[in-house]
Amino acid sequence: MKTTVYIIIGILLLVLEAVISPHVSLDVLRPELGMPILLYVTFFLGASSGLIAALSIGLVEEGLSAAPDGSLLFVSICIYLIAVAMRRKFFIDSKYSFAYLSSASVIAQSFLFLALSFFARGEARGVVSILFYTLPNAIVTGFVAIILFSFIEYLNNTVLERN
Amino acid sequence: MRNSIAIIIAILVLVISFLSFTNAPFVARSYSAVKNGLSSGFGPVLSVASKPLDAIGGVFDSYFNLVGAKKENAELKEKYERIYVENQKLVETERENVRLRKLLEFSQKKPNTMMAAGVIGEDLKNWFRCIIIDKGRKQNVREKMPVVTPRGIVGQVVEVDLWHAKVMVLNDTNSSIDVNVEGKNTRGLLEGTGQNTVKLKYVIKNDDIEIGDKLVTSGKDGIYPKGIPAGIVITANKNKAGIFADIDVMPFNNFRQLDEVLLIKK
Repeated sequence: MKTTVYIIIGILLLVLEAVISPHVSLDVLRPELGMPILLYVTFFLGASSGLIAALSIGLVEEGLSAAPDGSLLFVSICIYLIAVAMRRKFFIDSKYSFAYLSSASVIAQSFLFLALSFFARGEARGVVSILFYTLPNAIVTGFVAIILFSFIEYLNNTVLERN
Repeated sequence: MRNSIAIIIAILVLVISFLSFTNAPFVARSYSAVKNGLSSGFGPVLSVASKPLDAIGGVFDSYFNLVGAKKENAELKEKYERIYVENQKLVETERENVRLRKLLEFSQKKPNTMMAAGVIGEDLKNWFRCIIIDKGRKQNVREKMPVVTPRGIVGQVVEVDLWHAKVMVLNDTNSSIDVNVEGKNTRGLLEGTGQNTVKLKYVIKNDDIEIGDKLVTSGKDGIYPKGIPAGIVITANKNKAGIFADIDVMPFNNFRQLDEVLLIKK
């Protein structure tokens, strides 16, 4: 139940982001909304739920982006595997540690995408553009992750874990 | 145990997505089909989600019995844009006519048919410059269709699903367009940089080009018709090392403020 709700929230946020983006003139204000959901599900609901979240978010992101086929799914599955490996080592005790983790995942995502493009296709065309946006994306995502974490916790307390 | 199974499945998906990325024939085709199916699935959600934003902007306009006028205005606007683009092409054809009159052959180009489409979204990643339009396979949109506005070129269709299509914009790092300098014989390749300006490449230093020159598509890349405005030269540095000049171009369109675009049917 919880997994489904979080994934639906994630997908809706991604669709909203794609629709709102043309109306926002600042390009650097583009948070990565899929990663915080993926991390939350993996860290708090387990590896199986995390896999479903990684698959759904990876595929939806690809559907809403001109990224080459397979690239964003590859990256989200990599982030998922890293999150699974870190589950027992990294303890999320507040919305701030969750925000740090989300920001770090955005940076990791950029570098994973660059590594994939470079090693699999020998392409390094978009490096400057990707590196240019990595840090602003990570910072904005960190702030959004704080709000998202609070919202999910609120949902947990009021609806999902009430009984 | 469940965790191990999840990790094994994840690794399998990782391999499949990697093979798809590297264009392994069977995997890439199957993956593309699955992706298109899913995209078509949430296509209506995208359309529904984009409606309120347009509606909010239009509430005040439509308030005082402006519904009819607004509709008529939209129709006229679309008609005007069609005529404007045709006119732009006509100017170039005229120029070409003058140039070729002394030669023997001149064949009038068959006018292209236009199809209007609304911009309903943008790429999720700011690494890519891509817009999502509200026309898809149902309206006979095909990959590599040129997309323009009355001001000039926007880009080309790169992915089509049932309801929507993704358009790679001129300033995407993967975009390159064969262009000519209007009124001169200088030719180059307009390449996206991911930023607002684009680069004109492979123009030799002693070629005739200067700041303020207007660039139009050459029609030689097999995608864009000839004579569509692409941008204006804003810097031309011929003092750098190498045989090619370093030229920056400002596209005529502001790609962040596109509401409607026109697709050119081939």
